[in-house]
Amino acid sequence: MTPALSAVRRHGELDLAAKLVLAAGALVAVYLIAAPLAMLLLTAVRGPADALPFEQGAQWTLEHFRAIYSDSVLYTRIIPDTLVFVLGSVALCFVIAFTLAWLVERTDLPWRDLWFSLILFPLLVPSVVLAIAWIFLLGPNAGWMNVWLRSLFGLEGTGPLNIFSMPGLVACQALALVPFVFLLLGATLRSMNPALEEASSTSGASPAATFLRVTVRVLLPGVLAPLILALLITLEQFDLPLIIGLPARINVFSYRIWYELTPSSGLPNYGGAAAVGLPFLVVAMLLLVVYNWLIRRAESFVTVTGKAYRQTRFPLGRWRIPALAFVVAYVMLAAVLPTLVLLWSALFGYAPPAIDSLGKMSLAAYGKLAGNRLFWLGLGNTLLVATLSALIVTTVGAVLAWIIVRTRFTGRRFLDFVSFMSVGIPSVITALAVMVLYLSMPVGIYGTVWILVVAYSYRLAVTTRISRAGLMQIHRELEEASSTSGARWLSTQRRILLPLLMPTLVSGFILLFITGVREFTMGLMLYGQDNVVLSVLLWRLFESGEAAASAALATIIIALVIPIVFIARRYLSPRGYAD
Amino acid sequence: MLKVAGLSKSFPTPEGMTKVIDGVDFAVPEGECYALLGPSGCGKTTTLRCVAGLEHADGGTIEIGGRAMSDPARGVFVAAHERPIGMVFQSYAIWPHLDVFENVAYPLRVQRPRLQKAEIQARVADALALVGMQAMAARSATRLSGGQQQRVALARALVRRPALLLLDEPLSNLDARLREQMRNELREMIHKVGVTALYVTHDQAEAFALAHRVAVMWHGRIVQEGEPRAIYRRPETPFVATFLGAANVLAARLETRCNATEGVLVLGGSATARLLVAVPQGCSPGDALELIVRPEDVEVLCAPPQDMHNVTPARIAWMSFQGSQCECGIDVGGAFVRAMVHSAQDMHEGAQVWLRLDPSRCILFSKEG
Repeated sequence: MTPALSAVRRHGELDLAAKLVLAAGALVAVYLIAAPLAMLLLTAVRGPADALPFEQGAQWTLEHFRAIYSDSVLYTRIIPDTLVFVLGSVALCFVIAFTLAWLVERTDLPWRDLWFSLILFPLLVPSVVLAIAWIFLLGPNAGWMNVWLRSLFGLEGTGPLNIFSMPGLVACQALALVPFVFLLLGATLRSMNPALEEASSTSGASPAATFLRVTVRVLLPGVLAPLILALLITLEQFDLPLIIGLPARINVFSYRIWYELTPSSGLPNYGGAAAVGLPFLVVAMLLLVVYNWLIRRAESFVTVTGKAYRQTRFPLGRWRIPALAFVVAYVMLAAVLPTLVLLWSALFGYAPPAIDSLGKMSLAAYGKLAGNRLFWLGLGNTLLVATLSALIVTTVGAVLAWIIVRTRFTGRRFLDFVSFMSVGIPSVITALAVMVLYLSMPVGIYGTVWILVVAYSYRLAVTTRISRAGLMQIHRELEEASSTSGARWLSTQRRILLPLLMPTLVSGFILLFITGVREFTMGLMLYGQDNVVLSVLLWRLFESGEAAASAALATIIIALVIPIVFIARRYLSPRGYAD
Repeated sequence: MLKVAGLSKSFPTPEGMTKVIDGVDFAVPEGECYALLGPSGCGKTTTLRCVAGLEHADGGTIEIGGRAMSDPARGVFVAAHERPIGMVFQSYAIWPHLDVFENVAYPLRVQRPRLQKAEIQARVADALALVGMQAMAARSATRLSGGQQQRVALARALVRRPALLLLDEPLSNLDARLREQMRNELREMIHKVGVTALYVTHDQAEAFALAHRVAVMWHGRIVQEGEPRAIYRRPETPFVATFLGAANVLAARLETRCNATEGVLVLGGSATARLLVAVPQGCSPGDALELIVRPEDVEVLCAPPQDMHNVTPARIAWMSFQGSQCECGIDVGGAFVRAMVHSAQDMHEGAQVWLRLDPSRCILFSKEG
């Protein structure tokens, strides 16, 4: 039987337990994503501005759109700022990430194993941690680098570098985004079958001709897809624009939504926020469609089997030193210096390191933190919300993947689409939509950790994709052999599928857990009495001028996620780099 | 024991619904091994999967041991896990997270009511002994060779003493040498247990070696069914004749009819190759026919024999040395015939030879049918 036919074969009869489990998974998935979005749509066309869609006195209106889109600020500030920010940081990020990926995957660069782990650092810590560290390093007055540069060149006043500027914001966003793009490009480079290049060489093509006619052409979709994804992620960035961009009066789309909800005077403008959010969502969805098209093309080109090939490594020769310098520079800026500046500031106070300050070491900042009720609350909330949402998303994603891969249920393409769509929904929008939904619903979870659990759980795409790939690796005959051995559906899932899928599920869980610990946007926008999370607390401490305390908290967050680097590396890199 | 009647099944394809099984009937008596043989896509595996309950038939009935398993017309469908079967899969489907013992014990562990531990131990040990794997019970399933996986798969399928054993291309994942060895062992094991078995394969040697009866399938139908020897010797269609091993298919023309059953044939339009053979009924002189003869049934002579009955002069066009035998391409007045000769025989390309065709080994079909 051809694979195309066997793919649409109906599985053996599903019993009642199977139907219940699958239906529950599908309903939860649709609810987590579709319910908030539907609410968002309604909010955009119901008024007046400060009313929720179903509040008394609310009626149909297009006033929000008129108000937002007739405001010239949109065209003179927000759109230009967003474009420069997104295009600038993605371009810079891409140059850095591609160079790093190529050096680590395809050259004989020394200590590749070490670099691989260090490059991932910004992916694991909340961007608020990075933003604060970079402000400590590059702040125009007391930033370490500026102090050093001024003393080195005998300069006066402030600067010469100013992080609170468009170039500063672009550079920070680019550095923060590098590991993500690096991972995707690395996977693309690894999945290229070297026989394709070898076949070109043995056909008489020169190395340059092989590179241009084969390597580039084969890799192109796999390189463009991460580019689109990077655009999408940068478009939805909220934390860096808030912390670094706002002091420089940079106004991007995501920030505008927040602004409508927390105006300096007056009541939150739900309708206005929704009206800003909708076109933003449409652009994100368009990018997602392009991404999807590219990734299909990339898969048909290279990663059909998803297997990693042993690559022939390009000898760097005398380029070894400049290449190392490049990698070291990135790792210093994105991982080592941020950690050091935070640790130093927590222990010695916020002044550039000097010999005479060594004696002033103090654990006071940590002590103060330990005495802060909010710290313990935030720690508990962060772990609770990250764990629960990762569990929900992993479970629901696995059920969706099972429906998509193993059944011929008519709605399975729709489910696939819904789960995939979650990649393109900016967290600002999710937070807004969830906010409006649970303010309108009489369930009383607004302002509690439970609203965060629900909001965080919309990111179904990653786990669905991972589980889908995992399921496709598990030969369906392994499950059928259990049926013909006399086991019921639930028993087959528990005894055969679950153990086999466990490594996949664990890696999905870890990814989502890290995402949950890093999350700042939703935590801030849905902030209430008792649901503070560590990333939000960190920002609040920093905003209220508690430099040492915020540095101390930042180091604690780093200590919390660093062990995960080592666990995650086993799953994120398909093989050791010891070769 | 197993009765399949009027079985049909369609799959949706981009071109619409395709009939994969189109009215299949057969019955396997208690203790017999029955093989479904056919090229890929003929519907044999789908038939097996319908019997297993892994696939829903659109129509027809399946009965195992007198109990209806599937009858869509009456809304009857017994789920795979409730059928009294054991199945060996093409990929073996050995669970990698369980060791050999636990793989084989699985069907007993999921059985309700629960079995005693001691009984599970004993039955797994028996099953492993049957397939000669008793020494490897504790081995991890990921550290088994292809042949060992095959044995574990068989032990697992037999451990719960199924009424019916289903085997889906069980040897196709093995390399050629191991396949021959396992073919014989598999036959020994199945016959020793005496279980009723349904065997699906595309390899006629496997079907012939293992099965008491063989059904040749094509385009979702059984085109011929019978004992291996009978099917091989008396194929009823050119498809069956050519599918079951190498065969020469020669265009021929009936020259004259000698009596009710025999006539003189001309091969390839040349006047030199004349054969006196049994011809199908209803043929008249001038009709185009297809003559099918297997290479091993073509006798190649270095010198003209005394009795020139059914002998025709020919020339060796090419020879291919294969060890014990040589395969020859022989030019008979413009038609090519493949034949096997003993490699010790002194023949060379271009040599003049004489071919003798035994009329009883020749099969004739009318061209239009």
